Amino acid sequence: MRRQNLPRWRWALQDVSLRAEPGDSIGLVGPNGSGKTTLLRLLTRVMYPYAGRVEVGGRVGALIEIRAGLHPELSGAQNVYFFGALLGLRRREVARRFDEIVSFAELEHALDRPVKYYSSGMQMRLGFAAASFLDPAVLLVDEVLAVGDASFQQRCLARMRELLGAGKTLIFVSHDLAAVEMTCRRALWLEEGRVRADGDVRDVLNAYRESVDQHSAARRLGSAEEVSLLSVSVLGERAGTVVAGAAAVVDLVLANTQPHWCLVCVGVSEDPSSPIFVLRRDLHLQAGTTRMRCTIENLPLPGGRYWLWAGVFDRAGRPLSAWHAACAFDVAGPALDVPPPAVVLRAPVYVGSVWEIEAG
Amino acid sequence: MSARYHRPVAPSTWLKELWGSRDLVTALTIRELQARYKHAVLGCLWALLVPLTLMLVFTTVFRHVAHVETGDAPYAVFAYIGLLVWTFFSTSVSLASQSLLNNAQLFNRVYFPREVFPLGAVAVAAVDNGVALVALGLLFLLTGTSPHVSLAHAPALVVLLGVVYAWTIAVSLIVATAVVYLRDLRHLLPIVLQVGIIATPVAYGFDAIGGQRRWYSLANPLGPVIDGFRRVLLYDRAPQWGLVGLGALSAGLGLVVAYAVFKRLETGLADIA
Repeated sequence: MRRQNLPRWRWALQDVSLRAEPGDSIGLVGPNGSGKTTLLRLLTRVMYPYAGRVEVGGRVGALIEIRAGLHPELSGAQNVYFFGALLGLRRREVARRFDEIVSFAELEHALDRPVKYYSSGMQMRLGFAAASFLDPAVLLVDEVLAVGDASFQQRCLARMRELLGAGKTLIFVSHDLAAVEMTCRRALWLEEGRVRADGDVRDVLNAYRESVDQHSAARRLGSAEEVSLLSVSVLGERAGTVVAGAAAVVDLVLANTQPHWCLVCVGVSEDPSSPIFVLRRDLHLQAGTTRMRCTIENLPLPGGRYWLWAGVFDRAGRPLSAWHAACAFDVAGPALDVPPPAVVLRAPVYVGSVWEIEAG
Repeated sequence: MSARYHRPVAPSTWLKELWGSRDLVTALTIRELQARYKHAVLGCLWALLVPLTLMLVFTTVFRHVAHVETGDAPYAVFAYIGLLVWTFFSTSVSLASQSLLNNAQLFNRVYFPREVFPLGAVAVAAVDNGVALVALGLLFLLTGTSPHVSLAHAPALVVLLGVVYAWTIAVSLIVATAVVYLRDLRHLLPIVLQVGIIATPVAYGFDAIGGQRRWYSLANPLGPVIDGFRRVLLYDRAPQWGLVGLGALSAGLGLVVAYAVFKRLETGLADIA
């Protein structure tokens, strides 16, 4: 009753049902404010649901905020013990893993300094190392990993896979969809506190990417630009199907009001983030519409769904038509070979190969 | 508040969790003590200054303004014993009242029993009190009286201390949560504590309460307890067990109720703090 009288009250999460077994890895994706962090907080028992049940067996290691588990006034070394105490560990249990934690976080030189003087990256490293090495049965990791540098992020992902291999449960929130896809088998897509999709990571992420793209396409319609992209498509040479390793044609139609010297760029990405490769062409555009065809001779992509990005820039690099994901296309062909455990592929590139094996 | 989900766990689980967090209470207490005294020139002498100053004020005021009958014990020692108990109580409660809000940033991390914060506050006050106890020994020396400390008194002293701790922890738990849900109490609390030092027989004897001492003992267990300490240490007599018993009943019940209320409201702390 009381809650309904509050004007801006709303459910942060509703009808979310989730069951994870040891060894499960679940990626949580969704736009900001969709309830991902709230769900993690419920799982850590930091917050409690108004209705419904949360049951977690075993110790929870969590990295939800950058300063999670750290006391700013204590030194790095004291904080490792403090974090252990927060988790209910005895001092000697922490002492056993102390060296591992410090060397993983690469903070040997800063152990005696109070954590309030650490950079946010250092705090995150210490927090992740402590959370992941103090024997968690369930590890919850929020977007904070993005604060770390690239090499530390890779080591975090590797550490997460190592824990999964040891039968721990992982719940991972990230906007880096490639990282989610590489780490988790299952994904949960939350939107406005409800589950939009739950299932195999590839299926859920593809659906999510599509929705993100529709969203950004809708936002672009309103913008008036000097050069507009009328249509973009990617087709294969034969029967329109794009095939791994074969030729593919990118078809662009541009319209502009006045002649321009400009730079036309197209790129291909696996998710709405950085492209795998970019192709560019300088040209003088006449006023009116222009059709461009770019043939990629041997498309170096394994089977799957990709995004074509396009943008037009003037000589100073100012966008005439902003860089954006213009359309999705599917590539038919063999899927990528699975890398060995804890090895992370930078980008999916299809490389034709012939193996010869001789016995003896 | 009734719609608030609370964990269906038994009190035995609370105690088990609390026992598992004993290292955390120690860590928090040490951390808090460092913060209190590290950058202060006088360091832990501050723990002495509060009761000593009040004792001097009381001694001056009551020598010239009103007379307090203290038998053959010097008034300074008489008042200081009351002040030791009162300072422990009021320091605990005021530290506990800030403990949850000051540590709100820790709430968004991992689950651990939240009572570690008010309990840490009581532990800090206990250490302060230990320091202030040294001054009691010096006072006895200075005033030329000797305390009646013998093994026969030990059980009485343990019981009295038990009542003080139970009551202090109960009030600290309640105040700590109440302040989070109703921030106004932060402004109210210092006033209540100032009234409390007058309303408790700190500066005067318990007999001054008059005929309502039973009800008083139920409402404020510190009254019969302070009286008990004075009887034992100054006059070599037993505490008034009937009244101490009423105080103990109140403190014990208070502790159970306060702990249960705390565990119930604990679930919402992260939403609000």
